[in-house]
Amino acid sequence: MKSETAGAPSAKLADAPSAISAAVSAASIGGAAARLGRRLFGRRTAGVDRMAFGLVALLTIAAVVGPFVTPYDPFAVETSEALRPPSAAHLLGTDDVGRDVLSRLLAGAGLTLLSAAAIVVLAAAVGIVVASVAALLPRRADEAIMRACDIFMSIPSLVLALGLAAALGPSMLSIIVAMVAASWPSTARLMRGILRETMSSSYVESARILGMSRPRLMLRHVLPNSLDAIYVQASMEISGTIVMISGLAFLGVGAPPPSPDWGSMIAEGQQYTTTAWWISLFPGLAISLGAIAFGLVGDAVRSFVDPSSRRSS
Amino acid sequence: MKEPLVHGGGALLSIANLTVSLPERQRTITGSGDLTLVEGLSLDIRPGERLALVGESGSGKSLTARSILQLDPALKLEGSITWKGCELLGASRRVLQKVRGAEISMIFQDPMTALNPVLTIGEQVAEPLLVRGVPRRKAYARAVEMLDRLGVPKAKERMRAYPGQFSGGMRQRVVMAAALVAQPQLLIADEPTTALDVRVQEQVLDLLEEQSRELNLAVLFITHDLAIVAGLAQRVAVMFRGRLVEEKPVDELFDHPDHPYTQGLIGSIPRIDLDPDTRLTTVEDYLVLQGGAHHE
Repeated sequence: MKSETAGAPSAKLADAPSAISAAVSAASIGGAAARLGRRLFGRRTAGVDRMAFGLVALLTIAAVVGPFVTPYDPFAVETSEALRPPSAAHLLGTDDVGRDVLSRLLAGAGLTLLSAAAIVVLAAAVGIVVASVAALLPRRADEAIMRACDIFMSIPSLVLALGLAAALGPSMLSIIVAMVAASWPSTARLMRGILRETMSSSYVESARILGMSRPRLMLRHVLPNSLDAIYVQASMEISGTIVMISGLAFLGVGAPPPSPDWGSMIAEGQQYTTTAWWISLFPGLAISLGAIAFGLVGDAVRSFVDPSSRRSS
Repeated sequence: MKEPLVHGGGALLSIANLTVSLPERQRTITGSGDLTLVEGLSLDIRPGERLALVGESGSGKSLTARSILQLDPALKLEGSITWKGCELLGASRRVLQKVRGAEISMIFQDPMTALNPVLTIGEQVAEPLLVRGVPRRKAYARAVEMLDRLGVPKAKERMRAYPGQFSGGMRQRVVMAAALVAQPQLLIADEPTTALDVRVQEQVLDLLEEQSRELNLAVLFITHDLAIVAGLAQRVAVMFRGRLVEEKPVDELFDHPDHPYTQGLIGSIPRIDLDPDTRLTTVEDYLVLQGGAHHE
């Protein structure tokens, strides 16, 4: 009965409590996400939040469909069209080898934003796992893990990312690996504190008294009640991560040259800032816009999760 | 130290010479040496018996109850706690996990926080069965039955509700259902009615007594309210400053309290049949008698 086949009806699942509890945890997270959606789209949502959410939606659409709707081939070199200022033909101008800036921005949106999202999600996942293990282990092991996190956190994340990326070779993947390595400890520390607090709550103690094992307590009772803070932290961190990715790409750690990610685009326009400002300016604006939009969404998520921090409007 | 009424033979739970202390390294307030919290306590509970453990805040009654299930790993427990002849002190985590919920259950004071807000009532009431390998369908049927038994109306539909949708009294019924669903033989109730209003208190107490009778369930009832004790318990144990000072059948205790502390407690309850000129006693009188001794 232990062997589960994909798509088995619920009757089969009845014999796999762990599978069910995992599904239930997933469902409760889904429920929270639905509440979040209502809060963000609902009638009582503040104007700023709506704007931020709209921007994020726009950026997400750009990231997903952008590469397919570019007015020009983002990689087509057209030397006769080089360094053209914004015009009707090239809305955001062209760069030093005649590539359309708007097309490259759209093509790079996915690369930049999805990498940022991947980094935040992966870092949160690693952080949660480490924190859960630490919270379940005896005090001493817990202490050791937390001190290890402290050591990781004491290394400036930009330097760690640069070093790791240099070792792994320049590519978007090395940026992702480096950024995840640099940012999971803060999530782990945050989560571990929250998990410990939830573990001391009355309903967790009640469940323990009714004979639940420690892993089950963690998965079913502690984690689902501790994830609120992660939603806030993750949505806040996306904006910082966008800036960091772009910074690393600007420094040449990211994907090699023809890549249209926003940080590399700024770097490419560097020598033309006085004559062809549009090459660097528009990717820069896109980065700022992304960072601000996600930052505001983070605020909105926090006011949803923690009503006491809500703006009086 | 008074001898308990029954010893060993026939007892479901037998606590002998239990001493609970906070080890020196765990102490956060200044002071040296282990801090003794409960000292030399002996107590037996027979199958189906309702025993009340009374005492003021800090007298060690909750700590004694928690020690039975060893809920506070930081505390040092000495003496012996035997459950149906098996020693629980020093038992492995696995053994304790087996005992918790299925043999000995416990409910707490505040039903508002005792339920997990993100799981449905059904999931929580069925959980003690699910973790013991009872098939889902059967566990849920038993959960509905238990909720129904405890007077939750439309139990089947309520299984899908969340704790936030229930009132305090209903939540305490749900908590009790979860505690009783795996058919334990002893329920430890740590001030289960303190957070409820009097009407709901009465309902919960009636339920407790009813379940105790029907399921032959022993109940260790912890409270500071002597009025509750009179209605529910068959036997009363009084704790004061970490020691058991008196233990008797409930009628005897009210008629002839031996210990000055118990006398003070009982004398301080206003009664309608008393001469209006009689002064109510206060417990402070006893403390003064003792010279206000503060150990610690």
